[in-house]
Amino acid sequence: MQIELLFFGSLTDVTTVSRLIVENMTDTELVKAYLEERYPALRAAKYFMAVNQQMIQQVHTLQPGDVVAFMPPFSGG
Amino acid sequence: MKEKKIRNIFTEGAIPAQQIADDIQKHATQTQIGAHSIFLGQVRADRKDGGTVNAIEYTAYTEMALEKMAEIRETLFAKYALTCMHVFHSLGRVAVGEICLFVFVSSQHRKAAIDACEELVEAIKFQLPIWGKEILDNEDSTWKENK
Repeated sequence: MQIELLFFGSLTDVTTVSRLIVENMTDTELVKAYLEERYPALRAAKYFMAVNQQMIQQVHTLQPGDVVAFMPPFSGG
Repeated sequence: MKEKKIRNIFTEGAIPAQQIADDIQKHATQTQIGAHSIFLGQVRADRKDGGTVNAIEYTAYTEMALEKMAEIRETLFAKYALTCMHVFHSLGRVAVGEICLFVFVSSQHRKAAIDACEELVEAIKFQLPIWGKEILDNEDSTWKENK
């Protein structure tokens, strides 16, 4: 099962990509752990997560095709 | 539940001053309107470590931002007696002194337009997934933070 990950704002300085596809991750905690391993600087970063454009506050179960966005504090306007 | 209508708010680059005048003119036919409240955001030449801001480069999670904007719009129309509401936000590079946000709220009487406009600007700044990267005069950059 594929999950699409999106990165925005200052997080793209850490990941150097704005999009990643990962396999076999059944919840957002697994995705987070994988990313923090791959990009240690993420551990110190402040960010919010959204699944399919809905902000999440807690660990969230993932379905194939879900889109998980990693977003630093907003700074529009 | 009524389907929220998704409208685009994004425009590439700065918002030209002429557009603001044209949009005011377009409302002349809506004679039930008695008040317009307009907010304009302008890119400021902040001094940072290592330089002065020359421009801001905006990026967004556009699908989510438009979805969220539709929600904010519905909430404000339910709360205030508004006639109409228009929002334009820049994407890409906007130079110092140029307009990056144009919010235009109209109502029959002033209070609804003024209060809704203020609430809308705060919602845009804190609830829409948009990011500004400040480009300094030495070509360094720093990520903007909203206060």
